[in-house]
Amino acid sequence: MDAVEKANTERQKRWVKDQKIGEGTYAVVYRGREASTNRKVAIKKIKVGQFKDGLDMSAIREVKYLRELKHQNVIELLDVFSSKTKLNLVLEFLDSDLEMIIKDRTLVFLPADIKSWMAMTFRGLEFCHRNWILHRDLKPNNLLIASDGQLKIADFGLARDFADPGYKMTCQVITRWYRPPELLFGSRYYSTAVDVWSVGCIFAELMLRTPYLAGESDMDQLKTIFRALGTPTEQDWPGHTKLPDYVPIGQFPKTPLRDLFTAASADTLNLLSQCLVYEPRKRITAKDALNHAYFFALPYPSHPSKLPKCAAQLSAALPLEELDGNTLSSKTNRLKRKLSSPEDAKTRSAVARRLDFTKPTPGS
Amino acid sequence: MASRWLQGKTVRKNTPAGSHSRSSSTPQVHSTSSTIFGGGVKDPSGRITEYSSDDDQCPVCKSDKYLEKKLRLLVSSCYHKMCESCIDRLFTLGPAPCPICNKVLRKLAFTPQTFEDLGVEKEIAIRRRIAKEFNKRLEDFSSLREFNDYLEDVEDITFNLINDVDPVGTEARIAAYREANAALTLLNTQREEAYILSLRQAEELERKEKEARAEELRREEEEERQEKESGKREIIERLERADGADAAKVVRRTQRERAEREASRKATAATKDTPHIPFQDDYYAYDDMFVLKHVYVDPSSEAVRKDREGIMRAGGYRVEEAWERAVRSAVAGLNLWPLDSSPGVDAGGDVIMSAA
Repeated sequence: MDAVEKANTERQKRWVKDQKIGEGTYAVVYRGREASTNRKVAIKKIKVGQFKDGLDMSAIREVKYLRELKHQNVIELLDVFSSKTKLNLVLEFLDSDLEMIIKDRTLVFLPADIKSWMAMTFRGLEFCHRNWILHRDLKPNNLLIASDGQLKIADFGLARDFADPGYKMTCQVITRWYRPPELLFGSRYYSTAVDVWSVGCIFAELMLRTPYLAGESDMDQLKTIFRALGTPTEQDWPGHTKLPDYVPIGQFPKTPLRDLFTAASADTLNLLSQCLVYEPRKRITAKDALNHAYFFALPYPSHPSKLPKCAAQLSAALPLEELDGNTLSSKTNRLKRKLSSPEDAKTRSAVARRLDFTKPTPGS
Repeated sequence: MASRWLQGKTVRKNTPAGSHSRSSSTPQVHSTSSTIFGGGVKDPSGRITEYSSDDDQCPVCKSDKYLEKKLRLLVSSCYHKMCESCIDRLFTLGPAPCPICNKVLRKLAFTPQTFEDLGVEKEIAIRRRIAKEFNKRLEDFSSLREFNDYLEDVEDITFNLINDVDPVGTEARIAAYREANAALTLLNTQREEAYILSLRQAEELERKEKEARAEELRREEEEERQEKESGKREIIERLERADGADAAKVVRRTQRERAEREASRKATAATKDTPHIPFQDDYYAYDDMFVLKHVYVDPSSEAVRKDREGIMRAGGYRVEEAWERAVRSAVAGLNLWPLDSSPGVDAGGDVIMSAA
């Protein structure tokens, strides 16, 4: 066993993998914990493509950038190790995301809550941009919420660093509803402003509780944007007609944001409109956004511990747990009991009691 | 009008002769019931309460409320009352003299009556008009004395207008004042409007805040209720499980645990919201150790700088940012000492191969 392998097994021993909690296109996510401290973690096991050579691009990106970023509002990559042929990323455990919270109709958002989330998002984003990293996939789904209420930017699978002059970047990034118009027009040379547009869309979504610019196709997305914000003129956005995929979409008049966001304050709408400026060079930067009057005005942003939390986050883990019931060990069994529904626990513990009445029950 | 005849459109005979009708494009009939009379004195909530009594009688046609239940008296600009049907009869065909004082009146200048005493009605209208013109403030005068003199003048003019003392001379005074102070009057009007707007906004903000607070209270109550219920369930559950143990003890312990939980929850709820701090680190506290030049000799960025088509500029890419990145990366951390790290593992947690 050579030094690298030895170091790897050493690493691997630090983490215990528990049950599966989710599966994405290129990875399976497990709940786990640190062996020495029992701290909860998420272990992302990257599937290695069968027909491609080497690792998936997004896994490389995720490791490359997360390895360098450490900030309160960016998910922390704790460790990386390999098991047999698979790559494992050990990440902070975060139990809900902003999308779940937006969709949970039982929750009520105060303006102060929205302000707090926005401040945390902009702080995390500013940190990425400060380090010349474009996230390129911001959406509520990728903004995770820690148990103490802190919002953390996650999923750096599409991230890249700021391009050197003359290098093309792909325009097929960012989930459509959050994609800025310059990408929809096929621009291959863009900047940090693409992420700010996404944050603007998220901001609007937090207020509306439904996606703000929900287009059905890339073409329809542009139409949706223009319908909401008016068709840009050459003056609004110089040069946009020269972009590779430019097509005239039709003329839509500018409607004031006030018509849709009737309850928002003037500061709120000012920041929102500055995030959704067509000309990327005039779009507000994350740093300037954090110094915007909106954040300083009353009410103060809610303390993270007071933000609305998703009640569904615990029960969501249940059905998945049933799936891998065939890999029972005494350890997972104990954990399972703790996590299952109350009725379940009652029947099981009743049986357990009768069996070892004399011995102290493990774990109680 | 003539062109409309030529177009063959019908023009009704009883159309107001195009003189004072606001809508000259389409002929309209002002019937008694559909004419909306503006004006009147509004109460604080913005409503107009109309005065009427059972003894109302139209001074022109002498029809009274007793026989004519729908009788509605309106007030002319010369403060004479008459009923709607008289107004229709006399003024539908255009301006006509008042049957009482012979002043020329227009149909739309009639207003509903608010006060029993028409003198009050008149005074309010006059004071409103005067306040619009004479809106100087104390700040516009050099001494309190001058301001008081001005106020007295205003009161004089008002009195004259109300009691019809020397109407020609008074109007001349007003006109002279208006000419002399047009700019200041306009400025003060704008100030007043701005003030009203700010008041309204403050009110709106307060209302929203109140709503938010009520919402939060409701949420808290709901949480508390749920907490109580789950507590009860927990006791029952524990009792069921601990069939042998002392029931009272179990109940006590559960209650104590719950109280602790409650206390910790209260503590988090009491955490105060703090004002926004843009950055929670001191990254921007350090001065940049470089000055970015406007232009660099940089062959690799030539394509971007010579981008005539604007393909690169419209996407938001800026070569200056690439330069800043390069310069910043080159000098960042120059005056920082390396971190003291334990042998074998560097600060980032990477295994150093040679040591292993």
